[in-house]
Amino acid sequence: MHGIQLVNALAGLLVITSLLVIEAKKPATSAILYALQSSVLVLVFLALAATTRAHELYVWSGTAFVTKVVLVPVIMYRALGSLHDPATPEGGLGATRALLLAAAVVVLSFLAVSSVQLPAIAELKPALAISLAHFFLGLTCIVTQRNILKQIFGYCLMENGSHLTLALMAPKAPEIVEIGIATDAIFAVIIMVVIGTRIFRTLGTLDSRQLTELKG
Amino acid sequence: MALLTLLPVPLIAALVQLTACHFRPLSRRTVEAVHLASIALVLVLSLLTVRGVAVHGPVTALGHWLHVDALGAVFLALIGVVGFLTGLYSIAYMRHDLAHGEVDDRKLGVYYGFFSLFLFTMLLVVTANNIIMMWVAVEATTLGSAFLVALYGKRSSLEAAWKYLVICTVGVAFGLYGTVLVYANVAAAPVGIEGAAFWTVLLQHADVLDPTLAKIAFVFVLVGFGTKAGLFPMHAWLPDAHSEAPSPTSALLSAVLLNCALFIVIRFDILVSKAVGPAFPHMLLLGLGVLSLAVAALFVVVQRDLKRLLAYSSVENMGLIAIALGIGGPLGVMAALLHTVNHSLAKALLFCGSGNILMKYGTRDLDTVKGVLRVAPVSGVLLMAGALALGGMPPFNVFVSEFLTVTAGIDAGYGWLMIVCLVLLTVVLAAFVRMIAGSILGASPPTVAKGDVGPLALAPMAVLLVMMLIMGVRVPAPVAGLLREASAIVLATEGSDALALRMPWQNATTVTLAEPVDAGRPTCSPNALRRTEIEDHACSNRY
Repeated sequence: MHGIQLVNALAGLLVITSLLVIEAKKPATSAILYALQSSVLVLVFLALAATTRAHELYVWSGTAFVTKVVLVPVIMYRALGSLHDPATPEGGLGATRALLLAAAVVVLSFLAVSSVQLPAIAELKPALAISLAHFFLGLTCIVTQRNILKQIFGYCLMENGSHLTLALMAPKAPEIVEIGIATDAIFAVIIMVVIGTRIFRTLGTLDSRQLTELKG
Repeated sequence: MALLTLLPVPLIAALVQLTACHFRPLSRRTVEAVHLASIALVLVLSLLTVRGVAVHGPVTALGHWLHVDALGAVFLALIGVVGFLTGLYSIAYMRHDLAHGEVDDRKLGVYYGFFSLFLFTMLLVVTANNIIMMWVAVEATTLGSAFLVALYGKRSSLEAAWKYLVICTVGVAFGLYGTVLVYANVAAAPVGIEGAAFWTVLLQHADVLDPTLAKIAFVFVLVGFGTKAGLFPMHAWLPDAHSEAPSPTSALLSAVLLNCALFIVIRFDILVSKAVGPAFPHMLLLGLGVLSLAVAALFVVVQRDLKRLLAYSSVENMGLIAIALGIGGPLGVMAALLHTVNHSLAKALLFCGSGNILMKYGTRDLDTVKGVLRVAPVSGVLLMAGALALGGMPPFNVFVSEFLTVTAGIDAGYGWLMIVCLVLLTVVLAAFVRMIAGSILGASPPTVAKGDVGPLALAPMAVLLVMMLIMGVRVPAPVAGLLREASAIVLATEGSDALALRMPWQNATTVTLAEPVDAGRPTCSPNALRRTEIEDHACSNRY
C-alpha cells in the first residue's frame, strides 16, 4: 500500500517540477529543472516497479535515466549556450496564472480519470490523472511560449506525461516498445534543436511569432 | 522471405548515405547508384510481398512483430510503386538543383539518405503488427521527413519544417494515448490475453474492450493520426510542409505518407467498430471528412501557388476518403480504398509535374507561370491530363472512385450530403480548370527558354498517367482482387461481404462474381445475395 502512495505522491511532485520548467526565466535553468523533473519520473518508475513487481519497469527507468535525466538536458543545455536571443519576449503565462491553470488541468484530469474502469489501475488513479494533466501542461507550454526552445521543453513535458501513462497502464509491455518510444523522443529533441538552431542562424530570432512567412 | 529482406534495404541505404555525407560526401554517381539500388529493391520486394499476400494470404514474420494482410498489402504496394517512381524522378530533379547551386554534394547525400530513411519508416508503419510499434513508426516518419522539408534551408522551408515537427509530434502524441488506452484495456482483461499489443491478437479480442474507453481511444486516435493524415482542423502543417519540400518529397508526403496515417485510422476503425458498433467511428469520420472537403475546396480555389493548391487538394481528397469510410458498407469501403490508390497516383504525378514547372520557371506562382504547353509540351500534356484527372474527369481513375463514393452515399441515405459533396468537388474541378487555362495553356513568357525537361523526369510521370488511365478504364484483376480482400477485412466487423470491383461499362457476365472472401461464410448467404443487389443497384444508378 505504501508503494502506491509513494507513486501517487511522486507523481504530484512531477506537476510542481513541470511548472518550474515552464516558468523558469532562463532556458538554461529550464534544462536543469527538466533534469530534476526527469529524475522524479525515474523514481516513479522505480517505485512502480517495486510495487507492481513489473520487472520490465526497471529497464524503463534505466532508459529514462539515460535519455531524460542525462541526454536531453545535456543536449538542450549545450544548444542553449550557443543560442541566446535576448530580444525574444518571455511569453508564458506568469506564475499566478500558470498555477491556476495547472490546478484547473489537474482537477479536470481527475474528473476524466474517475470514470475509467480498469481494475489494474484502480489504486493508481491519482498518478494516472496527473500523467494526463502533465501531458496537457506540456501542450499549454507549447501554445503559450513564444521562444521556440521553450516549446521544445513543452514537447518534453508532454512526452514525460505520456511515458508515465504508458508505465501505469501498460507496465508489462515488451521492453523493445519502450526503447522505441524513448528513441523517438530523443531523436525528436535532437531534430527540433537542429532545426531550431538553423532557424536562429537564418532568421536571427527564436520568436515563434516571427515565423509568419507561410500563410493561407 | 521478401518481407524480412524488404525492411533492411532502405535502412541500410539510408545509413550508408548519411554516414558517408557526415565524413566525406560521396560522388554524385555513387550516391545515385545507392539510391537507385535501394528504391528498385524496395519496389521488387514490396511487390513480391504483396503477391505473397494475394496468393497465400496474410504474411507474418519476426515472431508476429511484422504482419501484412490484404489491407496492409494495398498500402505496401503504394509505398513500393510511388516510392520507386518519385525516387526515379528525384534523380532528375536533384541533378537540376545541384547544377543550379540549390544544393551541394553534401546536401545531395543528406537528401537521398533521408529519402531512404523516410521510405523505411513508412514501410514499418504498414508492416508493424504491434500497435505501439506502429505508433513509434508514425512518429519516426515525421522525424525522417522533417529534414527533407527543411532541405533548402530557406526562411520559408525552415518555418515549414518547424511547424511540421511541432504540430505532428504533438498530434501524434494524442495517438499514443489512444493506442495505450486500447492496449491497456485488452491487457487488463480478466481472461488474461497474451500479446495484447499485437494487432492480430487485439482484433480477436475486441469484444473485451470497455465501450466508453474504446470510444475515447478512437477520438484520441482520430485526432492523433488524423493530424498526420491532414484532416481538418489538424491540417495546418500540411500546406506548408508539402509546398516547401523538394517536389519529389512533396509527392511522397502527399501520395504515401498521408495514406500511412490513414491506414492506422482504418485499423482502429475496424477494432472500435467491432467493440462498439460502426455508428460512432463512422459518424466522426464522416463529420471530419465533410469539414475537410469543404474547407480544402475553398482554399484550393483561392491558391495562387501551385504546390499549395496541390497540398490543399490532398486535404480535400483525404476528406473524401474519410467520408467514404464514414459511409461504410461494401460500396463505401471499396470507394475509400480505391480512392486512396487513385489519389496517390494522381497526386504523385502532379507534384512531379510541379517539379518540372519549378525546373523550367523557377517559381510556383501561378500568376507568373504561363504557357507551359508551349515551353515544355510533354510536361504540359502530362500536367493537364493529371489535373483534369484529379479534378474528377473521366476516363481517369479519380472519377471512378469519386463516383463510387457518391453512389455509396446515396445508397446509404446521405442524399443531401452527397449533393453538397458534389458541389464542393465541382468547385475543386473549377480550380483545376482555371489552373490549366491560366498557366498551362496560353502564350509563354519570352524569358523562359523552350525545351522540355529530360526523359528521366518525364518517364515516371508518363508511367503514372498510364496507370491512372488503366485504373480508370478497367482495374486489373489482381488489383481488384486485392482491393476486394482488403475491403473484406474492413467489412468483417459489419457482417457484410466485400464488393467485386466493376466499372459501370464492364458487363456483369464478363466478371466472375467473386466468391465471398471470408471462408467461414457460406457462398449463398443472404449477404452475398444482398451484395449482388447493391451492385446492380449501384450500376443502374449510373445510367
